[in-house]
Amino acid sequence: MSVQKVDHNCADCPIHNTGNLKKLGIDMTDHDYVVALAGNPNTGKSTVFNSLTGLRQHTGNWPGKTVTRAEGAFSYNDSKFKIVDLPGTYSLLSTSTDEEVARDFILFGQPDVTVIVVDATRLERNLNLVLQVLEITDRAIVCLNLIDEASRNNIEIDTRTLSKDLGVPVIATAARTNVGMQELISKIEEVSSGKYICKPHRVTGNSRKIDKAINDLSDKIHKEFPNLPNPKWVALRLLEGDQKIIDALKNGDLGDLKSNYEMIQSVREERKETIDVA
Amino acid sequence: MGDPILALMIGSAILVIFTFLFFPSKGFYFRWKKSKNISEKVLIEDALKYIYDCEYKNINCTVQSIAGNLEISSNNALDVVKSLQSHKLITSSERLINLTEHGRSYALKVIRIHRLWEKYLADETGVNPADWHDEAESKEHELTEERANELAVQMGNPIKDPHGDPIPNRKGEIPQFEDLHLNSLKANEIATITHIEDEPSSAYSQILALGLNPGMQIKVIQVSSEKIVFEAEGDEKVLAPVFASNISIRKIRKDEKIQENFRNLLSLSKNEKARVIGISRSCRGLQRRRLMDLGIVPGARVSIAIKSPSGNPTAYNIRGASIALRNDQASQIFIEGISQN
Amino acid sequence: MSRKNLLVEANALRWEIGDNLHDTIMESIYADASKIASRALIKNEEENSFVIDRVIDRLITSRWLGFPLMFLMLAIVFWITIVGANYPSGFLAWLLVDLGQPFLKETAMSIGFPAWLSGLIFDGAYLAMAWVIAVMLPPMAIFFPMFTLLEDFGYLPRVAFNLDNLFRKAGAHGKQALSMTMGFGCNAAGIISTRIIDSPRERLIAIITNNFSLCNGRWPTQILIATIFIGAAAPAHLAGLLSAGAVVFIALLGIVFSLLVSWGLSRSVLKGEASTFSLELPPYRPPRIMQTLYTSLIDRTIFVLWRAIVFAIPAGVVIWLTANIDIAGVSIAEHFISWSNPFGLLLGLNGVILLAYIIAIPANEIVIPTILMLTVLVTGMSGLGEGTGVMFELDSISDTSGILAAGGWTMLTGINLMLFSLLHNPCSTTIYTIYKETGSIKWTAVSTLLPVVMGVVVCFFVAQLWYLFS
Repeated sequence: MSVQKVDHNCADCPIHNTGNLKKLGIDMTDHDYVVALAGNPNTGKSTVFNSLTGLRQHTGNWPGKTVTRAEGAFSYNDSKFKIVDLPGTYSLLSTSTDEEVARDFILFGQPDVTVIVVDATRLERNLNLVLQVLEITDRAIVCLNLIDEASRNNIEIDTRTLSKDLGVPVIATAARTNVGMQELISKIEEVSSGKYICKPHRVTGNSRKIDKAINDLSDKIHKEFPNLPNPKWVALRLLEGDQKIIDALKNGDLGDLKSNYEMIQSVREERKETIDVA
Repeated sequence: MGDPILALMIGSAILVIFTFLFFPSKGFYFRWKKSKNISEKVLIEDALKYIYDCEYKNINCTVQSIAGNLEISSNNALDVVKSLQSHKLITSSERLINLTEHGRSYALKVIRIHRLWEKYLADETGVNPADWHDEAESKEHELTEERANELAVQMGNPIKDPHGDPIPNRKGEIPQFEDLHLNSLKANEIATITHIEDEPSSAYSQILALGLNPGMQIKVIQVSSEKIVFEAEGDEKVLAPVFASNISIRKIRKDEKIQENFRNLLSLSKNEKARVIGISRSCRGLQRRRLMDLGIVPGARVSIAIKSPSGNPTAYNIRGASIALRNDQASQIFIEGISQN
Repeated sequence: MSRKNLLVEANALRWEIGDNLHDTIMESIYADASKIASRALIKNEEENSFVIDRVIDRLITSRWLGFPLMFLMLAIVFWITIVGANYPSGFLAWLLVDLGQPFLKETAMSIGFPAWLSGLIFDGAYLAMAWVIAVMLPPMAIFFPMFTLLEDFGYLPRVAFNLDNLFRKAGAHGKQALSMTMGFGCNAAGIISTRIIDSPRERLIAIITNNFSLCNGRWPTQILIATIFIGAAAPAHLAGLLSAGAVVFIALLGIVFSLLVSWGLSRSVLKGEASTFSLELPPYRPPRIMQTLYTSLIDRTIFVLWRAIVFAIPAGVVIWLTANIDIAGVSIAEHFISWSNPFGLLLGLNGVILLAYIIAIPANEIVIPTILMLTVLVTGMSGLGEGTGVMFELDSISDTSGILAAGGWTMLTGINLMLFSLLHNPCSTTIYTIYKETGSIKWTAVSTLLPVVMGVVVCFFVAQLWYLFS
């Protein structure tokens, strides 16, 4: 690929990186990273997808519109990103096919980063999905979309507080007019390459009895699969009778999920070393 | 062209005959098909289920009682028993009938399909609760094991049917546990309904009419030999002790919340603000999950956004979004007013 | 601890926890969500936000204006579709049929195609395809983008919101209003759009009743027949209004049937209460016109058109063959027509119409051309059309009217053809789509046969009552 090398000092200033972005449409050969795109219906998720890939997927106002997942690609800073548009869902805990597709992809597809598109005008409702995704994966970015619409309607959001509370990067965007997309792309690269380490917020405070059950079970899962990044989520899904998790536990696929985790770990170690050196 | 009056008469006659023959599920054709369906397989499976039930309840099971339960003649019942024996599904000695290991797992397989289907009807379709049992009665003989397993997976491997009965797992294991009956409660005791027996249907329809569902909290107000008076979701209910024995309960644990306010969302007036405190237990399955996904969980603030021309549905402001709900759904959501300042 | 024990343990815990797991989890997630959101929101002036949205909402869901505005909007969309499609349709017909077909045929002749082969390919397959493109493409290319614009703007969810009450009473889902409206464009697209309904029972009802929405392929038939038979019976200055009224009446009749059948289904085969309707009303957003034009053209128009073409080509072949294969000196088509004519008359139709509806199953667009071709064939008129077994259309309505009169058509035939066009089996594209969406032969058969049976019954009674009183 003939993408220019950038001056390393400027890797973090997004505005200068426009030249490094190449929209690859549906050319998805040999990608380096997989990006999953999750979000509620009506959040402009498809617009974000289109803006990233240069494709024109239909944006609809209905849940269930993206029936199968759409895929596209873009390249940035010499890395190729495959991007998977998951069905728009309100939750990942119910039984509909849409949610199953999204849930299973985030868990078993092991994307290098999951971008959660959030409607800035309906933040509280959208955070439900964000918190659920953060239970599954520790590499996520919140794309606070429709920020223009929010400010038009006198809603203002402090992205730094939000990012601190959620433990993942929060990027304000208006995908329709390409506002914030560059920043989003550079954050995608940072998180997926391990330059940025997320410390996702995990929900606590269920009833005592349920907490105890989940903790007991997740401790045991942790013993059996010590490398699993999210034993609590797996415990919860077992208690909800999720057959995919039951099967994965039986045939040991859950154990394989570690490879990815180990990769992050090694990146973390590396970073630690570099920091130590510095 | 013929005589139009004659043609009209013949046409109407044909229409009437066709309606009579093919009217969905009530027509002659469907009845005939149904009666034909009472094959040996159905009889065997029903008999197994009945014998299993006897074992479960520790009742002696005889050819006579099988005949009574399946509504067939004793001669036919004897044939069924013989056939069960030849398939090594039961052992029979001294008029006492017992299931073999094989027979028990067969019975549990049928029960599993039955309860899964009831769960499916309750959670994912709008089928009337009074019809669940009958539909499952015929479906349990039709559905293959694989299809039943798919159904179970799709619903998240449920452990209880909508009446609160345990669903046997794939291997035919079923947990044994004992619950108290409603009649064992004293006044002022609070409990949660765990199970409602759906047979006989006359008793079940009585209970159904009161709008009771497993998972509901009840508070006993008064107990006498003629009646039990109790409160469920804010309404006072009265039940004869005979029927009350069909309702199983467990006493409430210390750390459980006790809900006392039962005003529903339908009663919200324009410009009023309120907080959600719960969703009725009669709202279940997919419907319940959808409401919660949209943010309708205890603690959510609600107010009316817009009413449709007919007033049903109404859109509510919930967590920054406006969500349209039908009135019967709104009546299942409990709220409390918040003082405005 | 082994993996198996883990599962056993999980199962035991499930029993211990009871039914409240999901409720509790959701409650704690939302508790955190609400805490985090309130910390992050610097400014959230509820009173000043979405002021315009609320004004629009109040208007289009108002008790008095809600429905009239909705019908007005729908009427405008249809009017633009019908009027706007006329010219490109005419152009395409001229290009593909008037110009293209003779040219292709001559070219084929000159390179030595046998007559039967060039007839089969160019008079049959090609012509059917050309007609489908000419009649179907322009209205769809206009209707679907407009529909998508309304959808993207946020109007359509409000339509579902307004209409839900009617559909609830019929035991159906409020979103069926949308698949129904979509069906006015194309039933196949309408059926795909039922995916937005998540309850299986109500989705099936929406699929089965979608055919009662008069699709784009049937509008031209309605308009032509109404102009010839209804318009002609009225005084000249009222003719246009009356024939337009008749078409609208048929479309409304379709909505009534759709609701009635939904009601009937939900009380019989698909028994059940109307379940949930939890619909988020999204904020209004200015739609992006170019994007919408592009995507709706790709996603809907081309998709549906492609399927229609695939089905139309074999139909064209069959049509040509029935008119050109002779048994005992008479073509198959004529055999069938003379055999089925008495039955057709019983229904106030005729053999030609019945045959046309059978061989034109693939696309409603070719019904009228097929009828004209067959009528000429059986009446033995000369000097009209393009030859045996060649579908054609005439530029002048009076010529068409002349042919139909010669074929023995009356006012009743016209009325019943309009009714039958509304109430007959869906086209094969739609049938195939139903099968794909339901995955069930049984429900595909029900959706296919139910409207035909209803059509036969309705036409029979209308015809016999007509005979009785005339």
